[in-house]
Amino acid sequence: MRRAGWTLAAAAVLGWPFVAPTYFVFLGTLVAVNAVVAIGLNLLSGYTNQLSFGHAGFLAIGAYAAAILTLWAPALPVPLTLLAAGLVTALVGLALGIPCLRLDGLYLAMATLAFGFVVTEAITNLDGLTRGNDGLRVPLARLGPWVLDTDRARYYLALAVAAAMILAALNVAATRTGRAFLAIRTSEIAAQASGINAAAYKTVAFVLSAFYTGVAGGLFAFVVGFLSPDAFDVFLSVDFLVMIILGGLGSVWGSVAGAAIVTVLNDSLAGFQTYRPLIFGAIMIACMLFVPGGLAAMTRRQS
Amino acid sequence: MRQLVVLVVALLLGSSGPARAAEPGVTDTEILLGGSNSFSGPLAFTGTQLTKAGVDLYFRVLNDAGGVHGRKIRTIYYDDGYRPQDAVANTKKLVEQDGIFAVIAPQGSPPVVATLDYLEQSRVPMLFPFQSSTATRGRKYVFSGLVLSDRQSRMMIDYLAGPRKLKRFAALYQDDEYGKSFLAAFETDLGRHGLKLTATEPVKRGVTDVSAQIAKLQAAKPEVTFLVLTPGPAAQALKERQKIGWTDTLIVSTGPLTDETYLGLAGDASEGVEGLATLPDPLRSDQPGVKLYREQLQKYLPKNEPNRYSLSGYLAGMLFAEGAKRAGRALTRDGLVAALETVKGWDTGIMPPITIGADHDTQKQGFWVRVENGRFKPLSDWLKSEP
Repeated sequence: MRRAGWTLAAAAVLGWPFVAPTYFVFLGTLVAVNAVVAIGLNLLSGYTNQLSFGHAGFLAIGAYAAAILTLWAPALPVPLTLLAAGLVTALVGLALGIPCLRLDGLYLAMATLAFGFVVTEAITNLDGLTRGNDGLRVPLARLGPWVLDTDRARYYLALAVAAAMILAALNVAATRTGRAFLAIRTSEIAAQASGINAAAYKTVAFVLSAFYTGVAGGLFAFVVGFLSPDAFDVFLSVDFLVMIILGGLGSVWGSVAGAAIVTVLNDSLAGFQTYRPLIFGAIMIACMLFVPGGLAAMTRRQS
Repeated sequence: MRQLVVLVVALLLGSSGPARAAEPGVTDTEILLGGSNSFSGPLAFTGTQLTKAGVDLYFRVLNDAGGVHGRKIRTIYYDDGYRPQDAVANTKKLVEQDGIFAVIAPQGSPPVVATLDYLEQSRVPMLFPFQSSTATRGRKYVFSGLVLSDRQSRMMIDYLAGPRKLKRFAALYQDDEYGKSFLAAFETDLGRHGLKLTATEPVKRGVTDVSAQIAKLQAAKPEVTFLVLTPGPAAQALKERQKIGWTDTLIVSTGPLTDETYLGLAGDASEGVEGLATLPDPLRSDQPGVKLYREQLQKYLPKNEPNRYSLSGYLAGMLFAEGAKRAGRALTRDGLVAALETVKGWDTGIMPPITIGADHDTQKQGFWVRVENGRFKPLSDWLKSEP
């Protein structure tokens, strides 16, 4: 029964570009990209309880890294470009994580918030590299002789990456590292008393989270095709937090569901113009009130 | 939810999308236009005025009078909040899902530039984008909506170096596509007069303190200082100049800047500032077209004050209607492009007759204004930007 459900879901996701109109294929791609960010953020904020308001900054670093790398080396296969984007972002995450994770709660939130602003300012000012406010046109992604120039091709790329990242996250969650993250979330002091080096694991969570978001940033660059610092404002970081809170803190599948809902909701509300933030906000408040543990908690309660 | 319904219907119809007429966005009774614009974010006021109180105002008048060749015009807008990635998503949705005939009056260089390639490849016309960088020129399906920077520069320099006989020029410019495209054009046009820019100072976007730049420019002793900025920093520059008592230079603002927002922000520091205006005064002009615009605005949207954004959108609506009329009953996208290219010496009643050439520039003229008692006073007739 359960197996049949999974098979059906997999078939639906794989067959999507053949049944859905092209715009929904594009939307599906965005869901996959956001799902990778949400999983990354959930590893940090959900599993380890370290709130970040700066993930739009990580996304920007990954996106620009992938775009600039593709401009320099157009023949590089796209998986390597994405990997490089993830590693660059992870390095920045390491540099930021070591000092920042000495901070707690609100102070960490402030530091990550500031990080988001620093990144967009840096992009604006490094205009020799990033073309600043004018924006950077991203070349098409390549995989050997194959150019990913259709929505369908980009959908499968994003899907493959998201699938790999989901599997990896499920595995991390089941290892000693994942259990250490959860222990830190429950009680940092108790975790330390049980022999967990909290500072080290928090840094690992930060770096891992940055890596996920960097890879997603690379995908974002190829999917959207045009980057500008305006794209990575603080509201985007808030959107990512909403995804994991709505989906369920500390749940990989919850992150995916949250990403899907927020992406589709954001898109359907674009037609309401000035009322968009109002409607979006009201829906979020309702979710917090009635489904505080997110979708993941809701399904757990039922089963 | 609505999308889910659409999706299910689309699937039932065999995944080909809703049944459509030969040309997307055109039925026997309707023409569907759309656009991604700012309804939130820094340019929300401009976006709302441009579309709801401008483009739509003209179409409401037109539809009540019977439409174009028996078809009413309907518009859909989505909010991008000035974010390029949202503009891309919205534009794809408009083209692929809503099946619009053409994009009308999108706003801001980053969102507009982000969607250029996609629209050109999909052969969907982008009509009258509200931005002045030359990035939109030279495309088959794009018609500009503002006077582009090189034309503005030509008018400004020819006027100042010509009749006004000024010789020493400096510029305070925003360090991006907008600022740099003006700077390059200034150099070229000054070169034709055997002159050059004496000093230039960049301002990063989002910065509000420009005191260091103003001090450096003052030291260069220019007769004319161009402001190529957005209203916030420009107002700051004017206040700074007033504070340090720098009076022996003429401050000149570029077209996108010459508007009421900037005056309001600068207060009495804007007195005596000159600039290029690309539309007549929406509140006071007695041009027949502008009077008509005010009457119609009063009738359909009585609470909305006349302003240049709304007038600009109104003009965009008018220009589309003229193109659609000339294209005839069998309206197609290529037909519209060809029809717009036949517009020669066409009188809008708002500004000098419009002629659209191979460069697809629809706006080519401006006139000189000076701020006196908080208002723009015209100093010249309409200037020409043709070589």
